[in-house]
Amino acid sequence: MPHPLNEDEKQKILNSPPVGTWALMLIVGAGMVLAWLFLYYGVFLPRGAIH
Amino acid sequence: MHIDPLEKKWLYIAFGMVGLFLGAIFISALVSGIHPPSNVETIDSARLHLSEEFAEDNLGVRIQPDGTVRVTMVAGRYGFFPRHITLPADTPITFRWASIDVLHGVHMPMTNMSTMVVPGYVAEVTTQFPKPGDYPMLCNEYCGTGHDFMWSKVTVVDKQTWARRHAKTEGDPS
Repeated sequence: MPHPLNEDEKQKILNSPPVGTWALMLIVGAGMVLAWLFLYYGVFLPRGAIH
Repeated sequence: MHIDPLEKKWLYIAFGMVGLFLGAIFISALVSGIHPPSNVETIDSARLHLSEEFAEDNLGVRIQPDGTVRVTMVAGRYGFFPRHITLPADTPITFRWASIDVLHGVHMPMTNMSTMVVPGYVAEVTTQFPKPGDYPMLCNEYCGTGHDFMWSKVTVVDKQTWARRHAKTEGDPS
């Protein structure tokens, strides 16, 4: 059974930068941008523009 | 209003992505001259057979003096006429459509060709097909009990094949 955190450990976690969240932001954001760019420039435009 | 700093960062990323996407669309539209089809031209759907352009004998593919291709087609329950056309790849093609009865939609999967054909109006779309192959042309607006079976076929051939066929048929490639 894990031992409960003491107050110092809790404060250390609360005050440390949320690196995991930043990494998630970057991965999700970059993934969506790359997917959109691929669909627009790699699939949509090469099929021929509409006028 | 208090917004958590992390939520603010998410908002910045979301707004940045929307700005990037809109900017890419705007710039490529400007550079390539892409714009929504905006032809407004009326026609009497009940008298298509009496009009010069949409009379049965004049439907199909025509080569314009500037080398572009014009396709005149009629949509009616339940088919697109002519039922099969052949077009060149990598060539500007102007489709002109009229409906003989009700609202229809034209969609060619795996291409960007898609428009509505509204009775009383001529739908005009210019595009080109980069890849040779056989493409179905489907109705994507429900038009009646036979809607599921309303389709035609478009064959896109490379430019050399097109030129050979055109030379053989003396200007009537349809």
